[in-house]
Amino acid sequence: METDIVAARGVRVELGGRPVLDAVDLTAGPGRIVAVTGENGAGKSTLLRCLAGLETPSAGRVEVLGGPPADTPAFWRDVAQAADEPAWYPGLSVREHLELALSVHGRGRLTAEGALTAFGLEERADLHPLSLSTGQRQRLTLAMALIRPSRLLLLDEPERGLDAAFRERLAGLLREYAGEGGAVVMATHDLALARDCGARLAPLGEAR
Amino acid sequence: MRRWQERYATLLGAALVIGVVVQPAVSALTSLARHADPARLGAGLALAAVAYAGYLALVRAAGPMVVSAADASWRLLSPLPRRTVLGRAALVALAVSVLAGLALGVAVTAALGAPDRIAVRLTAGLVLGVAGGVGGMALGVLGQSSPAWDGWLQGLIGATLLAAVVLAVLGTGPGRHLLTAVASAPAGLAAAAAGAAAAVTAVLVRRAWRALDGMPARAVLAASARTGRAAQAAVMLDPGALTWTAEDGRWRGRALRSRPWPVRGAAALAWQEARRAGRWPGRFAVLAGAAALPALTVAAGHPGAGAALAAAGAFAAAASVTTGARRDFDNPALPRLLAVGPRAALAARALPPALLGAVWSAAALAGMSAAGALPGGPWWPLGLCCGPALAAGALRMARRRPVDHSLAVIDSPGGGIPLGPVLWAVTGADLAVLGCAPALTALLAPPADPLPYVAAQAVTGLAVLGAYLLKAGRRPR
Repeated sequence: METDIVAARGVRVELGGRPVLDAVDLTAGPGRIVAVTGENGAGKSTLLRCLAGLETPSAGRVEVLGGPPADTPAFWRDVAQAADEPAWYPGLSVREHLELALSVHGRGRLTAEGALTAFGLEERADLHPLSLSTGQRQRLTLAMALIRPSRLLLLDEPERGLDAAFRERLAGLLREYAGEGGAVVMATHDLALARDCGARLAPLGEAR
Repeated sequence: MRRWQERYATLLGAALVIGVVVQPAVSALTSLARHADPARLGAGLALAAVAYAGYLALVRAAGPMVVSAADASWRLLSPLPRRTVLGRAALVALAVSVLAGLALGVAVTAALGAPDRIAVRLTAGLVLGVAGGVGGMALGVLGQSSPAWDGWLQGLIGATLLAAVVLAVLGTGPGRHLLTAVASAPAGLAAAAAGAAAAVTAVLVRRAWRALDGMPARAVLAASARTGRAAQAAVMLDPGALTWTAEDGRWRGRALRSRPWPVRGAAALAWQEARRAGRWPGRFAVLAGAAALPALTVAAGHPGAGAALAAAGAFAAAASVTTGARRDFDNPALPRLLAVGPRAALAARALPPALLGAVWSAAALAGMSAAGALPGGPWWPLGLCCGPALAAGALRMARRRPVDHSLAVIDSPGGGIPLGPVLWAVTGADLAVLGCAPALTALLAPPADPLPYVAAQAVTGLAVLGAYLLKAGRRPR
């Protein structure tokens, strides 16, 4: 029997005295993609923050990779998160940002060249990320998460700013990641993306 | 009733200002009645030239023609004559340039001295200064309206800096008689030079006034946006936002030559800072040139100000290469993706400020020693040993939280002191001062042999940096 990479049971989170999440269950094993769906304010991002160890539930239990999630370097070596756009380092090009991730981790899932091609950023490789469009910066954010080795990928609305053609390509990239044994948990409003990457839907309120 | 109260307050304020300013002004004027000191002449004029170059650079960076957000949205893009829309900005620029020019004139006259006909020489100095201030502003307006004029303005900034270097070199000995000859030139010649400068400025002002009508809206909009952000940062008491505005503006739209990383692991974070600094050579050159300012200030006869300048400059040099640490602290998304341990990351981030702070301090102290402010020596090893403490202070400053406006306001005889901004301002500098205590002590009361202070500084600096890395490295970021 495979061990779950993510196991959340009865998670409850209150913000300002009101429950944002209540009795939420979620599991994701190796090679699985789970798409957490729900309307605005349903608590999708909050659930992802709980899985990343950035939010502590008031009730319930969250286990990631066999232990409670924690905002520590050891945790982030196994978990890659792409949520809001990061603050890009001044003076570095798109390619150098990708190569920095490879240099720091010592190895990568993709080469910098491969990531630039996969994410359609070859023509922008020598520009600073601030010179890119919103959608291209989102591609770079996803590329930074996918170029490095990890066992769990947490994506908050990865479709944000992406054109329809690239969303299809992204579905393929996520399927490849899962095919290598990683688990993906993503919060999304794009049911087509979830379908294209073969994700199990976990509508909030009835997530399993 | 309210109007009378306001008038009373204004009159009282004006009377207080006059009461405070008159006495120092009179004593300053009477002190001008002397021959120039040949040993200080070159350095004094060089400092005035550096200040003028800084003024021109500020004029160019500010716009100088800027309008409010409302005017930028509505009046600027309307059929109104542009000179009407920009009239108020032009008046403000004129007032600023006259004030800056007066200060410049006083500085030049103070450096040159007035051995005879003090009224003529002082008037000539002030006219020369105001001509320089107003002329520089007019050139800034012309530069905003056309790239060709902007080239002239940049050329003037470069020439002024070059003149500062030449004056400083001449002042050290070989050409001192030349400077003395200039200072003791007949008062009539000084008046003629001031008249010629005023004539050139009049031509520039006329051309700038005409150029206002054809001022491109995009140039005014870009300058207004820059200044608007600066004003917003000032109003929100968030000066940190200013540096990001300059930083982001620098890299947006710029093509870079990507290069592979020569190091792996956490050390790559230090390399990021080095690469950024290398790609901004202009800023780096200004920083390198600024290392000569403490020596110039000493040579101009102000050893205390020179020491203060050396301390502030060394800290500024170290802080200029902590952008990565600031980014990581402001937004931890990238460091989470990189998954480097906080202590290893901080240690790597400490390398660039430690190296730059050490080299800058060593150069500044060597210059001050050569200028005669520091006896014995060599003094540069003391500067080198300041590097670790400067890095600790700079990193602490880079990782400080935003201003806490909820903190109390302390009542004092001089008015209320808001604790939040004060604590924010000293965060970082406090650690640098603590870590550089031996060096600062040596600068305040220079010993004949600085070696014991070098040893003490080396130990203190390393201890402060080590303690900071141990403590700050406990937190994830």
